[in-house]
Amino acid sequence: MSVAVAERPEVAMQLNLRPVISFHGVSKVYPTGTVALRDVELAVLQGDFCFLVGASGAGKSTLVRLLIREEVASTGRIFVDGQEITRMARRRLPKLRRKFGIVFQDYKLLSKRTVAQNVAFALQVTRPGQRHLREKVEEVLWIVGLEDKVDKYPDELSGGEQQRVAIARALVHRPRIFVADEPTGNLDPDTSWGIVQLLLQINHRGTTVLMATHNREVVDLVRRRVIAIEGGRVIRDEAQGSYLRPGEATL
Amino acid sequence: MRRILAALWFSIKSAGQNFRRNLGVSLAGVFTMGLILFLVGGALLFTHSVNSILQAQQANASKIKIYLSDSASLASIADFQTRLQHDPRVISVSFESKDQAAKEASQDPDIQQALSTLGSNPLPASLNLNIKQLTDLARFDQMAKSTPIADKTTATDYNPDVINKLHTVINIIEVVGGVIALILFVISLVIIMNTIRTAVYARRTEIEIMKLVGATDWFVRWPFILEGIIGGVLAAVFSGGVVFAGYHVFVQAAQRSLLSLPFDGSYTVTLLILLVVGGVCVGALGSYMGVRRFLSV
Repeated sequence: MSVAVAERPEVAMQLNLRPVISFHGVSKVYPTGTVALRDVELAVLQGDFCFLVGASGAGKSTLVRLLIREEVASTGRIFVDGQEITRMARRRLPKLRRKFGIVFQDYKLLSKRTVAQNVAFALQVTRPGQRHLREKVEEVLWIVGLEDKVDKYPDELSGGEQQRVAIARALVHRPRIFVADEPTGNLDPDTSWGIVQLLLQINHRGTTVLMATHNREVVDLVRRRVIAIEGGRVIRDEAQGSYLRPGEATL
Repeated sequence: MRRILAALWFSIKSAGQNFRRNLGVSLAGVFTMGLILFLVGGALLFTHSVNSILQAQQANASKIKIYLSDSASLASIADFQTRLQHDPRVISVSFESKDQAAKEASQDPDIQQALSTLGSNPLPASLNLNIKQLTDLARFDQMAKSTPIADKTTATDYNPDVINKLHTVINIIEVVGGVIALILFVISLVIIMNTIRTAVYARRTEIEIMKLVGATDWFVRWPFILEGIIGGVLAAVFSGGVVFAGYHVFVQAAQRSLLSLPFDGSYTVTLLILLVVGGVCVGALGSYMGVRRFLSV
């Protein structure tokens, strides 16, 4: 439902649905002169599941980095959860980042900590003194299907399992928005499919999910909203899209 | 409260873990910082020792004799003496009568003979002043010369030359000691900064994750600052021990060579506190600067 209204702002207005993420005329020029994004307009509603597709270097990662304020937009405005983040003070960034759960292609796990410790770490550093830490960690590990790997170290796990640990860590603080930047980039098709299933499940629980990918099979199988980027521009935004438009040979 | 304690505990735990996990680098850092603190401590102690020797000399030197005219009345002398006694720059004033002066002088047999040949006592009475600051001697000299009760031919007796030189030496030693300490302080800051930077580099993924999940800058910083402080304290204790052992040996050697250098216990306590405070400051500041670059995510 939300997928359909995302395309039609006037309907969203009537339903009093405010976008949880919106980009207004956003451009990003890196100091080297590279123009990574040009005049991007985008609105994502609470509960959406979006694929962000495009070739390497199209601007997907820049979009993700602007969203979590790892980079600052050169022009335009970005709103997250009603807050303008492009001019947000540095000291307020921690609060902003806690709205997100973020995973990357390279899982970014701490090799000297166990699975449970890796997940608990996210809570320990943002909410020290959190009660029922163990239960919370076990719960998310159960959600990602790793309840029997609690005391293993990342090196003892497969790539897919490591990505599940990263997902659990990104979920443990109950984020409003889940951002995955090429989460299946290092995984074989079967494992990738498992990860996407997990993200769909997370979305089903009400979390907005934004997944940047160039995994064509997955996008075509799921048939959810697809935002295609090329040369820093949004060239396509479809409610039930596929990786390529019919007739397109490449992106 | 619970959250603050938990945050503190997390910081202490990770600082300890870091220290142990990078034991080699940590110890190298502590050792270098210890060496520098040792040099600082040594320089300070040396300055202090030289200073106290010079101060002792200065105490001897800051004496001035004001010779009194034979015609001066006892009342006016007493008056002048009281005035001097109330001067804040003066430590003590004592009156030496003509007879006392003669008795003092008679310790030299030649003078004794001369005195007995003369039959009368030509030596003037005097006021012997002991003053706090060498630099004030000249002023007292001026003051004495303008007093009617002072002897007209030789108003005062003090040694302006030695005093000036002594004063210059003390000043130079203080300045040089300070400059050396400052240079060493900066060097150790740079070393700590680089040590911590190595430690931070080893943990960049952890910091990246912390920033990503929304930990505050201070939360990231604290463990490193604590680690720096631990290193600083260890270095201070280590260098303090070496400095005191060295000081002890130095004082004994000085006493054997008949140099009047007492073992100054209260200064060693001050110095230990100074070294610990210095170590803590350098450790904390160095860590703060070392971690800064990695925080800009």
